[in-house]
Amino acid sequence: MSETFRNRLLLVIALLLAAIYLFPLYWMYITALKTGSEMFATPPSFWPDDPQWSIFPFVFQLKGMGRFLWNSAVIASGSVALIAVLGTGAAYVLARYRNAWVDVGLFLVLMLQVLPASLMITPIFVLFTLTGILDFPRTAVILAIAAKSMPFFIVLVRATFMSVPMELEEAALVDGNSRVGAFWSIVLPLARNGILVSAILIFMQAFGEFVYSKSLIQEIELQPSSVGLNAFMGPNTNEWNRIMAFASIYVTPILATFVLLQRRIVSGLTSGALK
Amino acid sequence: MRRLYSSLVDGRGFDLCLIGIPLAFLIVLSGVPLIYNVVMSFQAVDMFSLGSFIRPWVGHENYRQLIAQPEFWPIMGHTATFLVASIAGQFLLGFALALFFWMNFPGASWLRGLFLVSWVMPGLVVGAVWNWLLSGDFGVFNFVLHQLHIISDNVFWRSDPAFSLWSVIIANIWLGASFNMILLSVGLSSIPDDLYEAAELDGAGALTRFWTITLPMMRSTIGALISLGLIFTLQQFDLFAAITAGGPNNSSNVAQYWAWDLSFKQYDFAKGAAISVIMIVVVMLASVYYVRSTRHEVRG
Repeated sequence: MSETFRNRLLLVIALLLAAIYLFPLYWMYITALKTGSEMFATPPSFWPDDPQWSIFPFVFQLKGMGRFLWNSAVIASGSVALIAVLGTGAAYVLARYRNAWVDVGLFLVLMLQVLPASLMITPIFVLFTLTGILDFPRTAVILAIAAKSMPFFIVLVRATFMSVPMELEEAALVDGNSRVGAFWSIVLPLARNGILVSAILIFMQAFGEFVYSKSLIQEIELQPSSVGLNAFMGPNTNEWNRIMAFASIYVTPILATFVLLQRRIVSGLTSGALK
Repeated sequence: MRRLYSSLVDGRGFDLCLIGIPLAFLIVLSGVPLIYNVVMSFQAVDMFSLGSFIRPWVGHENYRQLIAQPEFWPIMGHTATFLVASIAGQFLLGFALALFFWMNFPGASWLRGLFLVSWVMPGLVVGAVWNWLLSGDFGVFNFVLHQLHIISDNVFWRSDPAFSLWSVIIANIWLGASFNMILLSVGLSSIPDDLYEAAELDGAGALTRFWTITLPMMRSTIGALISLGLIFTLQQFDLFAAITAGGPNNSSNVAQYWAWDLSFKQYDFAKGAAISVIMIVVVMLASVYYVRSTRHEVRG
């Protein structure tokens, strides 16, 4: 068996595996394009006879998705901004020093990373009610998400800072830079890629966040897409083509971002979670 | 004042400031709720006392009532089934895929990364898609199983109490397997090649090499991954909300969904807090193990 033949064979098998694994995604798009009757055909058709492209603008209008997507974007951007500003500094300090205090801080951060949102929401809801933060529901969700996802961001970005040689910063200090100056003009630019990738990961997570938004936001005008999708799926729904169209519109920007930045996201993820 | 400023710009104050503000933020928004949760689980909380700090103290009454509820033990059982089946499924599927992609061929790393879309998608969307795939009469999953002669009658995944939990488990395995695969691939690629070459020279077969080299070398990766799986699986909420909502008749209810259901559907915040406390203790124990198995990283 020659080398090229082996490579081709493996590639074909790999493509097949990927096709099987990603079939649910294909099914989402294909169902959205089907007519009401074709959707319930037995045996199911694997390619739409008469693709209904107009369903996307129709559902977008019908469900007011512009507002839902806007709210998702506001919540995700707010959380990422808060997390990036606060988390980067913490990650830097935790990467730069090695002593007992840093170990304690890291341990705390890792422990906070694991608290499930659906278990933390009860005390958060009651505390936000007591302090009046709940009057600003989207801010409340941003704060809750920031607290939930910041530890993950710190762990990822810390791995980036570890790979920035400390000698460069020391050289800048010798040259007369202040700590702030060296951090701002030497360390941050060198770690920019890692920070950006981690921020994108956090953004994608926050864009799909559900528990906090569902529990803290009552007004439908302020709810994000995840809550809108959940409300759309009644217990005995038969509007599956419309639901899948909603899901497609919601998820396509995330998928496009991921496919474009795949290599960087994967390497950023693996450096933080294990090594 | 000057000294304070110069310390902030050029000294210890700079570090303290960078670490102190986020830490304070996390303590206020994660630490305080965590402690308040424990306090609340010992109080009587209803819609009227929700807005006041001072509430009647009831001791461990909430826990006693919670455990006395007929659904308590079944739900704990479902949680355990969900955990074990999800982690095992995610891990085995992920490991199999990782081993396949480990045979290097052009395009392997790009295709491997593509699998991760299942993990970056919003949980609600994953749930919605699987809800439709697993539909009883018109679901394509039943159709495929039927064509493969695995089932003869349609399985009503979401509405049959015997299968409702499994419908969420299947979706969760799909969601998490790719993440497992990526991390396992990293572990596999860090095993030095010469170990295998030496073993091959000694006449060890593929299976022997797997048992005596691959698995032992992957021990810390696998340990970290299993505890990460435990943590992620206990956080899984969106799939329950999107596929079964814990039903029918609690047959697919698990602790983390029940806690939310008690608080936000039945407005029984005290019992919601009590179950949260129980589960958070479990998660904390798992994460201690995770932190320990990645300690070489923590120590730098």
